[in-house]
Amino acid sequence: MKNKSLILLLFVLIQVVTYAQDKPKLYTLPSPYERYNYSLATFRYTGAVPIGNFSNDYIDAPSFKNYSVSLEWVLQNNLSIGGEIGSTYFDQRIARNMYESSVGTISAVQTRTLSQYPIQVFANYHFQGKNARVQPYIQLSGGISMLDYSLYYGSLADQYQKIKPTYGVGVGSKFLFKQDGAWGADVRVKYQGTALKYDYVKNTVSSVNASVGIFYRWW
Amino acid sequence: MSKNFKLTCLLLSFTLVGLTSCTKDPISDISDEESLVYITNFDKSADFKEYKTFSIVDSVLLVDNNKSQPVLTDIDRDLLEGLIQNMQSLGYTYVSPNANPDVGITASWISNTYLSVTSTPYNSYWGNYYGGYGGGYGGYGYGSPSYYQYSQTTESYWLISMLDFKNPDTTNKTFNVIWNAQIQGFGIDNTQLISKMTSSIFAQSPYLKK
Repeated sequence: MKNKSLILLLFVLIQVVTYAQDKPKLYTLPSPYERYNYSLATFRYTGAVPIGNFSNDYIDAPSFKNYSVSLEWVLQNNLSIGGEIGSTYFDQRIARNMYESSVGTISAVQTRTLSQYPIQVFANYHFQGKNARVQPYIQLSGGISMLDYSLYYGSLADQYQKIKPTYGVGVGSKFLFKQDGAWGADVRVKYQGTALKYDYVKNTVSSVNASVGIFYRWW
Repeated sequence: MSKNFKLTCLLLSFTLVGLTSCTKDPISDISDEESLVYITNFDKSADFKEYKTFSIVDSVLLVDNNKSQPVLTDIDRDLLEGLIQNMQSLGYTYVSPNANPDVGITASWISNTYLSVTSTPYNSYWGNYYGGYGGGYGGYGYGSPSYYQYSQTTESYWLISMLDFKNPDTTNKTFNVIWNAQIQGFGIDNTQLISKMTSSIFAQSPYLKK
């Protein structure tokens, strides 16, 4: 009987020691987000301020009618790569004025618009780990933009549509809502330029875009 | 992975279509007055100082797809009276057509209807990118995909012209147009704006002043 009790005590001790040794392992195991490549989708709302000759010669009013969605693959190193498509729209009404042209003197209220649907690939470099609550990054992007330049004289329109190359460079940060969580916020400031030489725009449609977004990640 | 990739592509396609299908009408809030466009031009060789008197037609010529007829509705009468007042305030003397005026003023309402082929917005983006195809297929034409559509557009505008009666082109038996004005926009048939229209076309033509 005494031997049986001793064996039982020994068994319990072994179990406790084993459990005590195993338990820390569960909590020190890296998160799946740190162990695997994972996907991340972001929806952004953007405010854009025209700059350069685009602002000086065509539209200088800020725009708050811009959206984008992106999908990226976060790699095991500090990089992530992905694609982003968006919609940006600038417009401005100019009070009645006179313009000299080949057809004569034109007096009109101008409504200047420029809309773009950029499709870009991008690469992000992150400065913190995958599960850091704050993950600052820098971004380079490039692609094409379906561009529509429509200038209205009163109700008459001069429209120009073309696919043009576009590029951007930005800084931003992701903010996880909770440690190891799937949801978070994204804040980004980005310079965006699209080559265009038409009418009032001499060479580039350029703007500084500030966006706030929400992302979801999964593995 | 392949399934995820297809799903991703599908989602991106839907998103792109969603983003691009939100067409905006930037001038939906424009007023009749703001819609008006005044275009004036003149003969650079004309010396307007030499013209003292003018006459004007007694009705407006309605030109509709190359058919024309004189009409005189209330708005036409207001237009003609506005033209007379503005010419007089510039220093010209209004005389009868029989009194050998130096210049004559004509007014027309032009209305043209076009039937045109258009494409959905994004087809035109690719308009310059077909060049590499079909080089070895002489005699092949272009098919018309379903996204082409036909549209009818009616364009109407006022056209006011000043004819040089003093220096007629005797060879061709014509009077030269030494000044003209077009008025276009949503509001061209707005009776409240006729006075504004007539004064505006002269206001932007200071060279007419005596």
